[in-house]
Amino acid sequence: MNELETVVGLEVHVELLTQTKLFCGCSAAFGAEPNTQVCAVCLGLPGETLPRLNQQALEFAIKAALALNCSIAGEVSFDRKNYFYADLPKGYQISQFFQPIGTRGYVEIQSAGEIKPIGIHQLHLEEDTGKLLHVGDILSSPFSRVDFNRAGVPLIEIVSEPDLRSAEEARLFLQKLRSILRYLDVSDCKMEEGSMRCDANVSVRPRGSSALGKKTELKNMNSFRSVYKGIEYEVQRQSRLLQEGGEVLPETRHWDEGAELTRAMRSKFLSANYRCFPDPNLPPLLTSRERLNALQEAIPELPDARLERFVREYSLPRYDAEILTATRELADFYENTLAVFPVPKAVSNWTMGELLGLLNEAGQEIGTCKITPTDLGELLKMVQEEMISRNMGKAVLEEMFASGEKPGVIVEKKGLVQISDEGALAEIIARVIDQNPKSVEDYRGGKKKAVGFLVGQVMKETRGKANPQLVNEMLKKQLEV
Amino acid sequence: MNYPDTPAHQLAARVQEKPDLLDQMPGDYAVLCSKSQNLQIFISFEPQAIFQEVSTIKQRLLAGKSLPLAGATVALGDNFCTAGLVTTCASRMLSSYEPPLTARAVDALRVQGSVIIGKANMEEFGLGSTGNSSHYGAAKNPWDPDRTAGCGAAAAAATLVSLALGTDSCGEARQAASYCGVLALKPSYGRISRRGVIEYAPSLTQPGLMARNTRDLVLALEATAGEDPGDPTSLKLLVPGYFSRVHEGRKGKGPLKVALLEDWDAVPTLETEVREAFQAQLDDLPKAGLEVEAVSLPSFQESSLAAAVISAVEAFSNLANYDGVRFGYRAEGPSLQEMYTATRTSGFSSKLKQFITFGALVSSEKYYTSYFVKSQKMRTRIARELESCLEEYDLVLTPTVPFTAPRLERPRVAWQLPDPAHFFTAAANLSGLPALTFPLLSPSGLPVGLQFIARFGDEAALLKAALLLEKKNPLQFPQPGFKDQGGCGR
Repeated sequence: MNELETVVGLEVHVELLTQTKLFCGCSAAFGAEPNTQVCAVCLGLPGETLPRLNQQALEFAIKAALALNCSIAGEVSFDRKNYFYADLPKGYQISQFFQPIGTRGYVEIQSAGEIKPIGIHQLHLEEDTGKLLHVGDILSSPFSRVDFNRAGVPLIEIVSEPDLRSAEEARLFLQKLRSILRYLDVSDCKMEEGSMRCDANVSVRPRGSSALGKKTELKNMNSFRSVYKGIEYEVQRQSRLLQEGGEVLPETRHWDEGAELTRAMRSKFLSANYRCFPDPNLPPLLTSRERLNALQEAIPELPDARLERFVREYSLPRYDAEILTATRELADFYENTLAVFPVPKAVSNWTMGELLGLLNEAGQEIGTCKITPTDLGELLKMVQEEMISRNMGKAVLEEMFASGEKPGVIVEKKGLVQISDEGALAEIIARVIDQNPKSVEDYRGGKKKAVGFLVGQVMKETRGKANPQLVNEMLKKQLEV
Repeated sequence: MNYPDTPAHQLAARVQEKPDLLDQMPGDYAVLCSKSQNLQIFISFEPQAIFQEVSTIKQRLLAGKSLPLAGATVALGDNFCTAGLVTTCASRMLSSYEPPLTARAVDALRVQGSVIIGKANMEEFGLGSTGNSSHYGAAKNPWDPDRTAGCGAAAAAATLVSLALGTDSCGEARQAASYCGVLALKPSYGRISRRGVIEYAPSLTQPGLMARNTRDLVLALEATAGEDPGDPTSLKLLVPGYFSRVHEGRKGKGPLKVALLEDWDAVPTLETEVREAFQAQLDDLPKAGLEVEAVSLPSFQESSLAAAVISAVEAFSNLANYDGVRFGYRAEGPSLQEMYTATRTSGFSSKLKQFITFGALVSSEKYYTSYFVKSQKMRTRIARELESCLEEYDLVLTPTVPFTAPRLERPRVAWQLPDPAHFFTAAANLSGLPALTFPLLSPSGLPVGLQFIARFGDEAALLKAALLLEKKNPLQFPQPGFKDQGGCGR
């Protein structure tokens, strides 16, 4: 048996961050009480199913398609995908079947140190369905309820080419996609809240073969980790099957997060015929050159470009630049801090080391952080000017993180200002030398380490406010007299 | 004063002057319409609601408002949504459904002062006009209660109301008017908002307006036409002042040029009654100021087939929201799938189910190209042909339906696909062009219709032609059958 190669293609659904739904004025916000964000249109009530296209959603979709290097369709048209399910109010979903808004794009990932383009087969705009709420498990639930808040929320579906060669590449691709879409501010891409959902088509084939093996469709992966683990599991399962002389059945499989394995779902609706046809209520819209140009211009610097610029412009190590440009918010935070305190590496160290540490510990993101870039910059200035020590700085940062107060206010309130005045320190140093003849003797006798104890005594006297470096120097000078 | 017999435009003028005239209307109507019950013209009729509507109008008149349709009585097909009033679509599926909103066209009529008298009986979901699919029993024709009446037109013909609204997807409103001897106008696609109108074929449907005289039709069109941002297919064209358009002279333009559909009399289902009535009118047209020439429109005869395929596909999808989950009728079943099946099996008539099944079939992968796409191409060809003919002529002329109102006990054309009743009417729906039917009487005294089709947006030409015919043919409303039945006699 030849060595096997993994082939993966992803279908990613992303909810757009529009104020309102795709075809009506209902709020598209996440997390409201069930069925409080619904109207006659998104409930599909008789006579009220006329859709009004949300122009912001259309622009978000076009921006996403442009950022993924897609060709944009000359006209925007919508089709009906017909099927019955309790979460689908109209009995059809309005989607783009015949003419997706974006086709033939690509995204670059960095795999094994090399840049690799992953093809985007298509990107299209569609409406989300409602959500079924079961009592426990879907199969044992005695009844189900439906929440239609999500019905009609705008989605883009991004279908990759089968260009991914490992679970790791799939994860990298998905992360890159999330990063780009977040930079565009078109989605928050939260897998745990369902605003980013991913299905994977997985197959294996003998390395060197160009034909595709029989694939399975993998569903229910609700985190980046489970996408990785699900694909990894499925690849192992299929490889084992083939190596044992078995055959892969084309089926939909469910990732069981708890058991960490995939299970075949009943394939009852596998060969669904959706009977797609153009939606007669939505006449095709021309996408004008001017509109496309304006949208293209509105696309911000994307993560890859920003990373390169950080390396080039701020002489940051690539590692730092990667972390700092992972989200647009963090990169903005970094650059806004630089505007106040223009020392790139120092800001990077504090941001990556201290700030991200605090954020991780608190389970927060930069967007909700109480510390402003200006405040961080001011703090770093104080440290640089030795107004406070580095350790004090860390303590102040923690305080800022908790309360959102300005560093100056905290330093003053706690009386933290560092004593760097030689005159003020000389008196204390003299007293400490007088009171600790033993240590002085030790030092003069060659035990140079004894100075540490004396510095500690000075710090104690000053309640940590003395500039330790200065104290160190002054003590040595005194002792060597 | 006799409300129903008085044309709406005359009534409005008198009521405007003397709002007290409205006081007796609710009482009169309670008597009038309860007597019409044996014709099954209305599905719902609430004298209490009429009383309220009338007192609102009176207040507005007393406050000095000018209402062009003050006191005009309206019957709504029961597929026009009315908030707080059950809207059934003549289907078991919606037998107790109260919509949260009112159709925009209905609001527009109310703003102008008209009174909604009741919800008219019709074919289930407005599909066709010659079957027997109403959950409430068929509406009977006031001229002959053994015959079909279609939607709404019966109420106007029986002089129960001045105006009626019904949907026109393949010609239903025009067919009903033809069967009942009144006028009907299907405006250009998008001219009247479809918001709040429950329809089975969105790309073909326009609300159809029915009346007993042209001036009332003009008023109804002026009230209901106009852009609606809530309807994505709503026309952005400016609505002309139809009244002045219709009455302006044709100085230097000569008579209206009319293209008569060649071979109109070669249609296999054409009844002698229709042939004779239509031919007689043809001979009179030059005297009315219309210049007629026969013109060949080779694709026209394909329109009812193309419309059958397209409308069935749209209906299959458009009626998928009737699933028992969120509103309307639900039959219980042990699983979701079984609940769907039970609900749709017992909620829809067999006619509608056959139609939906046909739609599912011709949109399936196997037949999509050979039926659906082919029909769409035919649709384009039919539209081009009509449009290019109308570059040379002001109007295209045909009979409205090849036959008089079919007998109810023998709905011989009920379930043929394509529906032979759509033969002359469907082309206007496929092309989006406006069309109007004008009532004629056959030699044996049954209503027959004459249809005009005009350029896109040119409803004025239709109304002008109707006015010319009306001058030569004073409309007749003897309603013999109706009176003999003691339905609504005075």
